[in-house]
Amino acid sequence: MTSFKRSFGDSCGSSELSSKVFLRSSKGKCTKIVRELYLRRDIPCSSKLCTRCLMDIKGDSYGRKKPFVLSSNAPVNGTIKVPHYIVPDTNVFLHCMDVLEHAAITDVIILQTVLDEVRARSLPLYNRLRALVASGEKRFYVFHNEFRSETYVRREPGETINDRNDRAVRRGVQWYHEHLKEVASDSGKSIAVVMVSNDKGNLDKGKREGVTCCNIKEYVSGMKSSDELLDMISTALENENAKIAKGDMLYPEYYSMSKMMTGVKAGTLHQGKFNISPYNFLEGSIHVPSFDRPLLILGRENINRSVHGDQVVVRVLPKDQWKHPSSKIIEEETMAKNDNPEVEQFEAIETEQERKALIDEAKVSQGAIGEGKPQPTARVVGVIKRNWRYYVGHLDRSSAPSVGGRSQRNVFLIPMDKKIPKIRLRTRQASELFGKRIVVSIDAWDRTSRYPSGHFVRSLGEVETKEAETEALLLEWDVQYRPFPRAVLDCLPKEGHEWRVPQDPEDPRLHQRTDYRGLLVCSIDPPGCQDIDDALHANRMPNGNYEVGVHIADVTHFVKPNTAMDDEASVRGTTVYLVDKRIDMLPPLLGTDLCSLKPCVERFAFSVIWEITESGDIVGTKFSKSMIKSREAFSYEQAQLRIDDKSRNDELTQGMRTLLMLSKKLRQKRMDAGALNLASPEVRIETESETSDPIDVKTKEMLETNSLVEEFMLLANISVAGKIYEAFSQTALLRRHGAPPAPNFEELQNQLRVTRGLTLHTDSSKALADSLDRCVDPSNPYFNTLVRILATRCMVSAEYFCSGTHGYPEFRHYGLASEIYTHFTSPIRRYADVVAHRQLAAAIGYEPLHPTLHSKAKLENVCGNINNRHRNAQMAGRASVEYHVGQALRGKVTEEEGYLMRIFSNGLVVFVPRFGVEGLIRVRDLAPVEPKSEFDAENYRLTVEGSTGSWSVGLFDRVVVKVMDDMEEHTGKRKIKMTLVSVEGQKLV
Amino acid sequence: MSRYEILSPEGLRTDGRRWNEIRRFSAKMATTTAADGSSYVEHGNTKVICSVNGPIEPRTANARNSERVTITVDVCFAAFSGTDRKKRGRGDKRVLEMQSALSRTFASTLLTALHPRSEVHVSLHILSQDGSILATCVNAATLALVDAGVPMTDYVTACTVASYTNPDESDEPLLDMNSAEEMDLPGITLATVGRSDRISLLQLETKVRLERLEGMLAVGLDGCGKIRQLLDEVVREHGNEMARMGAL
Repeated sequence: MTSFKRSFGDSCGSSELSSKVFLRSSKGKCTKIVRELYLRRDIPCSSKLCTRCLMDIKGDSYGRKKPFVLSSNAPVNGTIKVPHYIVPDTNVFLHCMDVLEHAAITDVIILQTVLDEVRARSLPLYNRLRALVASGEKRFYVFHNEFRSETYVRREPGETINDRNDRAVRRGVQWYHEHLKEVASDSGKSIAVVMVSNDKGNLDKGKREGVTCCNIKEYVSGMKSSDELLDMISTALENENAKIAKGDMLYPEYYSMSKMMTGVKAGTLHQGKFNISPYNFLEGSIHVPSFDRPLLILGRENINRSVHGDQVVVRVLPKDQWKHPSSKIIEEETMAKNDNPEVEQFEAIETEQERKALIDEAKVSQGAIGEGKPQPTARVVGVIKRNWRYYVGHLDRSSAPSVGGRSQRNVFLIPMDKKIPKIRLRTRQASELFGKRIVVSIDAWDRTSRYPSGHFVRSLGEVETKEAETEALLLEWDVQYRPFPRAVLDCLPKEGHEWRVPQDPEDPRLHQRTDYRGLLVCSIDPPGCQDIDDALHANRMPNGNYEVGVHIADVTHFVKPNTAMDDEASVRGTTVYLVDKRIDMLPPLLGTDLCSLKPCVERFAFSVIWEITESGDIVGTKFSKSMIKSREAFSYEQAQLRIDDKSRNDELTQGMRTLLMLSKKLRQKRMDAGALNLASPEVRIETESETSDPIDVKTKEMLETNSLVEEFMLLANISVAGKIYEAFSQTALLRRHGAPPAPNFEELQNQLRVTRGLTLHTDSSKALADSLDRCVDPSNPYFNTLVRILATRCMVSAEYFCSGTHGYPEFRHYGLASEIYTHFTSPIRRYADVVAHRQLAAAIGYEPLHPTLHSKAKLENVCGNINNRHRNAQMAGRASVEYHVGQALRGKVTEEEGYLMRIFSNGLVVFVPRFGVEGLIRVRDLAPVEPKSEFDAENYRLTVEGSTGSWSVGLFDRVVVKVMDDMEEHTGKRKIKMTLVSVEGQKLV
Repeated sequence: MSRYEILSPEGLRTDGRRWNEIRRFSAKMATTTAADGSSYVEHGNTKVICSVNGPIEPRTANARNSERVTITVDVCFAAFSGTDRKKRGRGDKRVLEMQSALSRTFASTLLTALHPRSEVHVSLHILSQDGSILATCVNAATLALVDAGVPMTDYVTACTVASYTNPDESDEPLLDMNSAEEMDLPGITLATVGRSDRISLLQLETKVRLERLEGMLAVGLDGCGKIRQLLDEVVREHGNEMARMGAL
């Protein structure tokens, strides 16, 4: 180990050292900032042609050295006809990141000046850039020009910082140019350096100084896939260059960041996440800590360019403007059909139609002011953080009627997610893109523009083709579905499928592993399950108690912390189950073979063994890494049949009966403690075996064996949670389910009271469970399930957390009525379980805990990610079911029973249990001429006076609907469409 | 996330150094005639003046020890030395701690038994702070003590080492912290005696994982050796100068 010193002698006078002094005054206080810079000559150029810089590669403290990156076969294209490297400047990275991420662009030099500017402007972009550099595939290299003496540029008096940075970029390019010329004289191969910029001034200066340069458009237009690439160049950039002063601003200006922050601190403004109502695109809501009910944000002007998911700051409006949440359905496509994407100047923010809809609203709420408090309303005054992602949608056909030509034009994209407004897009490929699912990203939303503007990223394929739709919904829910990269697959055991449990008892892998291969273990899973996480066994002990074991696949034996595979799994967070596809968290070799507890094969497991008394009390718990050999892999049905079959009395069947007996006792105990039995509609799609096209929809049924497995999994999770919390009081990864706040239930309580005279107690989970049991309507057997479904929607969602971030009382899992809970039993498909496995292994002294699991901050990151992924996976799963239900019903018309879940003044939401879907029926669709309807908000009744007579419906009423499929024009999704056939037995024509 | 990349993936720190490079170091001896010994050390942008008086008659009864000489240290931060103009009082806990650390470090290296019932007073003024302050104080005091002719076994030299955590959780020791690094990273201050790897001061004010300490110490010891060479050059040059002036 050696150290170097730059001596004073050669730094004095020469440019080796530069010291800067700034005096900055903020709030009248004087701050001195001194930065030293040690300029050096040993920063390599990283071109594989260069032999001069080879000496300058210096290793880190482990002696690891970075090889050179830039290819000796530099790319050539139509604009720059010689081999070249490119040096983009800052605004190219800021506005055209998608282009640079495209596979066509390689061999890029990123100057430190540019990198620092990108970092200061946008951290997410900086991270994307760093990821590009780290991946190495596209040969991006960061050159620290600010630290190299030849390329360091001193800021001149009177020069702005931007000008200085531009000069530094040009200087960097010049240096590369000269350096590569010297290299060319050695190797005989010349490579040019091209500065790519969008700044006209910078380009002009560059040309004058003899730097080869061009703007991004010229550069890209010389490439093969130029159309695609040109569309990716964001419109924001074009606007920047040709900014036309537009007279009328449509939206109010945002407050400055400091004004917002002081306002939030002082309590005059409120910060929160902006949500759009799924029924009304002009109604947003935001939950802030200082109000127990969400603040309503009504109308375009108040919403002020915020998009669903943004972190925004709002100002509460005066009390006389407070309103009730909308009782009307307002959809964007009906309101804003006629907008022309090309014409901007004549639009007002709110069209006449929209304004009318809102006034109607206001009237209703004014009239109803007598009952209940109106909800506070607010206006968005600024956005803290945009939560823009890629959006998937299709082009609005009406927005550009004349097809043909390659000229650039504006079109509207209608996102699949109804909560997202239309996005204006400039494209050259409009005619090709109609009828396709495409991915876009939003660039900006100017005050002058009614809609946000975005740019094209990628096309997924024809609307309604299975591949495009599947990919679209994966993208919509941010599921990582790309194949596992090489680095991850390299982490798999070398033996591949040939991997076996070692037979030699001295093998180090068997150290501290208990041998449970003699136990009669079996697994019970849904039919066709390949990734078997868990297996069970039970037998009677000599003292009369039972020994029950849960054996979980030992994933952490294969997935070690801080490997590429572990990183990938932690990013994916969970396996996503779609109707016809599974997106794995772990490579299939592990998930479906080496970890999967398949029958008749020896496997490594992590076992929890309890001693349980006859009455279901737990006497002792034991955790150990083990090896097991499963005797049988049952499906729920098979297991049920085996248990019920009186003629079978072998040990395995006996064990299963014991498990069933004990599980019933455990379940009873849990119910007595106040666990909730909630319902969510679940359906199964029947598919044709060959083409896997969906043909029918069945509701899922619950067998006794389902709850058998569930009960023991819960028990294992609870036991493990206790153990890891005991060992790591600050960093245990647990799962909590908060008690729902009382206001969540207000609406449902009120509905039940008014329509059925029932009361719902929500003081504790026990009280809620009991009062849910009492919610029965003898004339309507499905009523109880319906209430449970609605009650489920009032709950807050459960979340993973790190034990140091909450007090012990807040660990409680409300739904399961357990003091402490974690996820341990499905490590193949959930990352949380992988972490729990590692922590448990450390808690029982099997192996030391990896440093990452010691850090609370790291764990909180992990929790945040897996919470998010978990939610997205659920949503993606539901969206997939929805799509397949639509496909299964294609061309069919059936009459089904449904129940009213929600009533609006101009529509009804009907839930059809048979398909597990909700559908909207608008009053105006009931008859050719919109019938007169009257909505009684107090009693939740809608009276309709049609041409054939009047009828009225109330909440929870049973109706018969005709169900057919329908292509929803504005989202391009095939969904089911319902029409009302009869209400409470009364036939409607 | 901090404003700068403390260590870029290319292995360069915020000021352009690599992991094992110390900052610009310059030192002078006998800068004032008002004290028995004095020195001025610039380490990067950290600047310290030191003056030594002694051995002298103890100024307080506390400093009188019939066995050995007592070393008293006064540290004074100039109000203009930091980023904000701030006066530190006499009773500032951080200053008191520095003083006691310094006096204990030198008590083990000076030949204290030679001057019983007397005091050596070391006074340090910090003119500019940019990290590694304690280490710079040790180096300045060593030079001033040499200048004052207080008998000592060998040079006491000090430097600092930070431990940087890479995104992949591996660690990277960084020699000689500046203030930006001191703010963000855990680090140690380390002083050794002479050419031996004998550590006379090891200070850690933040938390660092135990397995990293060994690597940090190895880098720190090497850094201390480098500083010893630099101090030695300064002392020899000063000696030659004095010889030329005819003082010896």
